[in-house]
Amino acid sequence: MRTPTPHPAPDAGATDALNPENLDGHTIEELSAYFDAERTPTNFSIESSPGCQIALNALGRLRELTERDLETQAAAEPAPPDGWVQSIMDRIALEAQAGRGIPISHPLPTAHLAMSEGVVRGLIRAAGDSIPEIIVGRCVLDGDVTTAGQPITITVDISVAWGENLLQAAERARNVIHRQLLKHTELNISAIHITVQDVRFARLQRAEVDQS
Amino acid sequence: MGLSARLGARAHPDVYTGTVTISTLAEADDRVVAGRAADGDPKAFEVLVRRYSGLMRVYARSILGSNDEVEDVVQESFVTAWKQLESLKDPGAIKSWLMRIVSRRSIDRLRRRREHDDIDEHDRPTREDTSPPRIAETRALTSALGTALATLPPAQRRCWLLREVAEYSYREIALDLEIPETTVRGLISRARTNIVREMQAWR
Repeated sequence: MRTPTPHPAPDAGATDALNPENLDGHTIEELSAYFDAERTPTNFSIESSPGCQIALNALGRLRELTERDLETQAAAEPAPPDGWVQSIMDRIALEAQAGRGIPISHPLPTAHLAMSEGVVRGLIRAAGDSIPEIIVGRCVLDGDVTTAGQPITITVDISVAWGENLLQAAERARNVIHRQLLKHTELNISAIHITVQDVRFARLQRAEVDQS
Repeated sequence: MGLSARLGARAHPDVYTGTVTISTLAEADDRVVAGRAADGDPKAFEVLVRRYSGLMRVYARSILGSNDEVEDVVQESFVTAWKQLESLKDPGAIKSWLMRIVSRRSIDRLRRRREHDDIDEHDRPTREDTSPPRIAETRALTSALGTALATLPPAQRRCWLLREVAEYSYREIALDLEIPETTVRGLISRARTNIVREMQAWR
């Protein structure tokens, strides 16, 4: 059985990528800070030293390894218990993000009705999600929604299932969102921009499983 | 007397989230899910909680040096995240954004534990610290990196994690840990030297 030495000898010799003796007069601290500054401004003395290059590569590998290692450990963590997740959801439930107030006309001049921006975004999500291959992401309402009749531009991110025609999916999303907004709001919509942010695979795989 | 009403303040949760299921939402990438959560959809936020709580636990445990307060810190971090989510500029960067929040929360805990003294004694050997046996219990010591991290003095480990994982600048670390920037620079450099040496010993 091989037991690793918990504390290696201070002089690890020529194999030590961070051995100060190989750094052509530079220090580890200097290289470490240079690495963190993304090697700018360029230090020609460091860049032309083979020993410094080896050390900088070692720091780069350590960074990559760190990310992979954390992901591996995270994957080994048990899934959070439903109760634990629920207690977070309970704590956030009281803080709805309503956004701006969008006026709704009323025959009574003294009546002031408004629909929140959050509800309009909810309508957009529900409309887009009603198409099976689409999941709606962020929705942005540009323009002065607080003044009735002002032109509004809407930008919607969507995720589309793999295998669907992206242009047709975007067009379907635009149409259904437009219809629902005309039906439920008085917004003066000048444009609806759809951005396909994500093409996802899982749903197709599940459909294949269902068929088999 | 005017009639005033505002739809939405107490709307049914379905108004914000529609009928899409959590398992369907979980198929979408961070930009879509976090963008949707930032717009106020609790279901999308729940997907983020399930997606990132493991990573946040591992990270908080490394910073805190024990398992004791990890669950609380991660829960608090998610509540903070929900409140600040509207200000998130790039939903695709949700992961590092969450890591910064959990960093801040973990450091708050450290401060409350009154570990200033510990941080000031930058290079106090780990074996005097009470936490390593706990780390050994709770962390899967399967990787050379995990082992190397566990043997680092706490101040080195924290500075290095804040830099490498949460992508803090030296200045931000200095402000948060209340130590000089030059000290941060030295601690990170020593942490890197120690980790690389320790990992070479494993080969």
